[in-house]
Amino acid sequence: MVCDLARRRFFPYLDGELAAEEQASLEGHLSCCPDCQRLIHLERTFRARYLDHLRPDPAPETVRREVSRLLNGLSDHHPGGSGGRHRRSSTIRSVAVAVGVCLVLGGATLGVAVRRWWSGTSASLVRLAEASVEQHQKLTRGLLPYDVRGMSPRQMERWFRGKLDFDVNLPELPRKNLALLGGRVSSLRDIEVAALHYQLDGKDVSLFVMPLEKYRQLGLAGTPKFKIVTYQGYDVIAWASHGVAYSLVSEIGGQSCLVCHSPEERLDFPTGFRAHGML
Amino acid sequence: MDPGEEFEALTVQHLDSLHAYARLLSRDRPASKDLLQEALLRAFRAFGSYKRQLSFKVWMFTIMKNVSVDWARGVRVRLLAGGWRESEEWFAAGHGEDPTPSSLPLDPEQVLIRNVTVEQVREAIKNLPPGLREVVELREIEGLSYQSIAEVIGHPIGTVMSRLYRGRNVLRVLLREASSDTVISRRAHGV
Ligand SMILES: [Zn+2]
Repeated sequence: MVCDLARRRFFPYLDGELAAEEQASLEGHLSCCPDCQRLIHLERTFRARYLDHLRPDPAPETVRREVSRLLNGLSDHHPGGSGGRHRRSSTIRSVAVAVGVCLVLGGATLGVAVRRWWSGTSASLVRLAEASVEQHQKLTRGLLPYDVRGMSPRQMERWFRGKLDFDVNLPELPRKNLALLGGRVSSLRDIEVAALHYQLDGKDVSLFVMPLEKYRQLGLAGTPKFKIVTYQGYDVIAWASHGVAYSLVSEIGGQSCLVCHSPEERLDFPTGFRAHGML
Repeated sequence: MDPGEEFEALTVQHLDSLHAYARLLSRDRPASKDLLQEALLRAFRAFGSYKRQLSFKVWMFTIMKNVSVDWARGVRVRLLAGGWRESEEWFAAGHGEDPTPSSLPLDPEQVLIRNVTVEQVREAIKNLPPGLREVVELREIEGLSYQSIAEVIGHPIGTVMSRLYRGRNVLRVLLREASSDTVISRRAHGV
């Protein structure tokens, strides 16, 4: 073996990644070549002096605390696997219940539309719900920092301008017991959204605003206008309006709609959907 | 131990490595925290399919890499990680990938004579070009096998070897230049 070939194998040799045959042939060369012996000695010294002492930097205390909070939050659930399958099927059941409500109460025309939507887009809806719930949990547990806080809806709209490819129009706060806590540019999977965290009577509500085009790509833009699903105990309502689409997450069902609407306002919901005690 | 407790114990055990890789993938930007959390949530959901004979660290690294790739493909790239895209663009521009088969490992003698510190070596690794830093860290700091690195970065072993080869040589060049702390720290601050 010539020296160049031997030296080119130094790295994998010292990494323990050479095949037995190559290793034997390299060791054969080393035993009779003083130049290569000297170089491999330098390589070993370099490793012993520097590389063997390298360790990952310790994670800062803030990161440890945040991860610990996240893990505590997760401890109420079972990790994915057999338990996950159970949750998924109960989710699908919830979609079915929501659809069922619409079918029973919505009349024949709506029924046809719903059935078409149910067969084609339920998986998209569950994925959107899943992503929305995940973001909601992180937002409300303080795991995702706000980009902005303490702003009025108008100021918040201005803040989002230029940061997203679509206009974010936020409702005025119609009720005293409703607070807009903060907002951030976030993502539901690969969809860039404006994420808003509200509290209504002390209950957390998240509103995600996304481009209509993305919502269409999920196949969710058709009828019924309001898609309702319960995912992991959270109520998720998705709909499109005025060139953008929304996903609203809470644990208070249709009451969360009061983030945008006053209690007196008549809502354009599927027949039978009530602002309280939905599903 | 129930799976939830096991997941928590493994995460805590490997947290330094997970955090370090998140920093690497997000170019040391604050988004590294989001990336780590997103990866932990994904991992938690998929923990039922985690095969115990595989290293938890390698499994988590693979998930983290996927998260960063997803993010870089989405529009969040300008706000978030973007590390994957920068790194792939760097290689696409013809850097780093050339295995220069005739080149040899740079003799480490100059570095040894200069008697640089471990801290300087660590700092120099952080200043390697993106894709080279990744394989060098995964090997020298995390101690991953070539096969594991290939799985994490999603490239064949041959690519791992050529990047590692080049990364180690560039590291030596940086350390030879490091006649004092100033050279490396100037680079570190992009001046
Ligand atoms: Zn020789």
